Amino acid sequence: MTKKRLLLAIIIIAACCAVPFVFDPEKSYVVYFLFMAAIYVTLSQSWNLVAGYTGQVSLGHHAFFGLGAYVVAILWSRHLIGYLDPIGIILAGVAASMLAVLVGIPLLSKLRGDYFALGTLGLGEIMRLLTIQLGAFTGGPMGILLPSSSFGTILPHYFIALSLAVLSIAVMFYMTRSHIGLALVSIREDEAAAEASGINVLKFKVLSFAVAAFLAGMSGSILAYYVFTIEPQGFYGLNWTLYPVLMCVLGGAGTMTGPIIGGLLLTAVFEIARYFLPEIHPIFSGLFIILAIMFLPTGIMGLRKGAPQKGSAGAFDIRRSLKRAKGG
Amino acid sequence: MLKIVIQVLVNGVLSGTMYGIAAIGLSLIFGTMRIVFIAQGTMIILAAYGSYWLLSLFRIDPYLSIIIVVPASLILGVGFYQGLFRKVARAGQFPTLLIAFGLMALLENLMFVMFTGNARAVQTSYASYALTIFGIKVSFVRLMAFVMALAGTGAVTFFLKRTMLGKAVRAASENLEYAMMVGITPHTVNTITFALGMGLAGLAGVATATTYGFDPFSGFVFSLKAMIALAIGGMGSVAGGLLGGILLGVVENYTAFFLTGGWADVVAYAVFLLVLMFKPEGLFSRDVSAKL
Repeated sequence: MTKKRLLLAIIIIAACCAVPFVFDPEKSYVVYFLFMAAIYVTLSQSWNLVAGYTGQVSLGHHAFFGLGAYVVAILWSRHLIGYLDPIGIILAGVAASMLAVLVGIPLLSKLRGDYFALGTLGLGEIMRLLTIQLGAFTGGPMGILLPSSSFGTILPHYFIALSLAVLSIAVMFYMTRSHIGLALVSIREDEAAAEASGINVLKFKVLSFAVAAFLAGMSGSILAYYVFTIEPQGFYGLNWTLYPVLMCVLGGAGTMTGPIIGGLLLTAVFEIARYFLPEIHPIFSGLFIILAIMFLPTGIMGLRKGAPQKGSAGAFDIRRSLKRAKGG
Repeated sequence: MLKIVIQVLVNGVLSGTMYGIAAIGLSLIFGTMRIVFIAQGTMIILAAYGSYWLLSLFRIDPYLSIIIVVPASLILGVGFYQGLFRKVARAGQFPTLLIAFGLMALLENLMFVMFTGNARAVQTSYASYALTIFGIKVSFVRLMAFVMALAGTGAVTFFLKRTMLGKAVRAASENLEYAMMVGITPHTVNTITFALGMGLAGLAGVATATTYGFDPFSGFVFSLKAMIALAIGGMGSVAGGLLGGILLGVVENYTAFFLTGGWADVVAYAVFLLVLMFKPEGLFSRDVSAKL
């Protein structure tokens, strides 16, 4: 089973690597589409780690995404790093992680999921407003213009985004197969019981939040290298939380394949909608979230074999949540 | 100087009550259903648009439009609960939070497509009229908003304390299982609470329409402010929500006065994060462990 899946994964990755050589990246839309899909899959997996596996709903992923982009923009505009500098990308992830730890320790130490959700939502707003207020340092409301003349082809961006997506999946894979994943799932299922059985709940929650922020920050930095205009509305936009959440929930939160399926599917839906219904496509993303939660609470992955599998049950399983609501 | 400081305080209290009524709606919904209804602000903006269009299309005075907007919001509240939340009401916070999140995105973009992104403001003859009380200038529309907030809070408090249905709502928010044992149907209580919350959003919407300019996306900031007010005041208490809102308004106005307007929001969110981090039960809340 695992060997089969590993083989499948290698084939898919190889196919993704071959895409830009089959479709001309200069002319074809396919490479750009997969580039965006890879970024969304990374973000979606990152959210999945915190919400799907650990059960802490973060509504502030745009804070980390935007911070990652701004780290690259600020450093590059001061010539401290170069174009597509791996140091910049890693620093973006590290900065996002540090923010996550800083905010996560106090926010996650309380036994209340909704405070975390509210706090992270506030965090996104704070980051956006701070960026606007800091004027010369962050470029203020107009943002930072990067030297777009360095852009040659989308190929390096594509491969970096693809490796980020693979990395995020690998992280999820490692997490689910190790004692860390077990600890995270046990926190999601019953925090008090997890604590009672000797799990350092806060440590694992902060760890998963920091790893998720690392992935989100890096994906922000790679988009910054592609877009070249880093401004607060675009990079600290709520969409960078909304869409990954939607992808993860629709695909199946708390499963490894869910966010990949959700990410690819919705990137396609959004791109098609953007092409045919340019004005009204954001309406559908809201509608999709509502419909997905109401009629598909365990996501597409939950449809497989009827019931969610043991150990990989969707985070939004109603029966379990009921139990939790009674206990808490 | 003292006069200015008092003036800023008055302005803060007046604008803070607006956050207060939004917070009370959130607090009611959270109290009975544990739903963090982040679409509250967007509902306020929707009501503000209702008031705006009633004025520009039918020449109905914004204050008169209360008798249309508030009942319409109540009905919408019933619809939201029955249509969206009934099925998942007891499924814990995450599904309901995400549905509210989706509803917010849906309404925002629907309004954007229908009403365009242009900022609107209700133009009335009395919009810029100000009273002078003891040398302090008080904007008429803001004073009216304050009065409306107090009236709304009073009505909700009266309903919760003095009527049978209100008592049922309070019982359900204190302990749902025991409330069910004495024959209270959760769905009825939830529907009433949701309708009340939306009714308050309608009232806040009219108040917003008369005092501020608004666009389809300003609701999100309103929700955040209401949540800050709620976090400061303590979740699940009516008076706490109002007090939290007033405190937030005062903090914002003083920050805007001593620093600049742009920093007011930053400080407000910083206060929010600090309260969430270090005193999540709120500043004005008494028995916390029993409630949560």
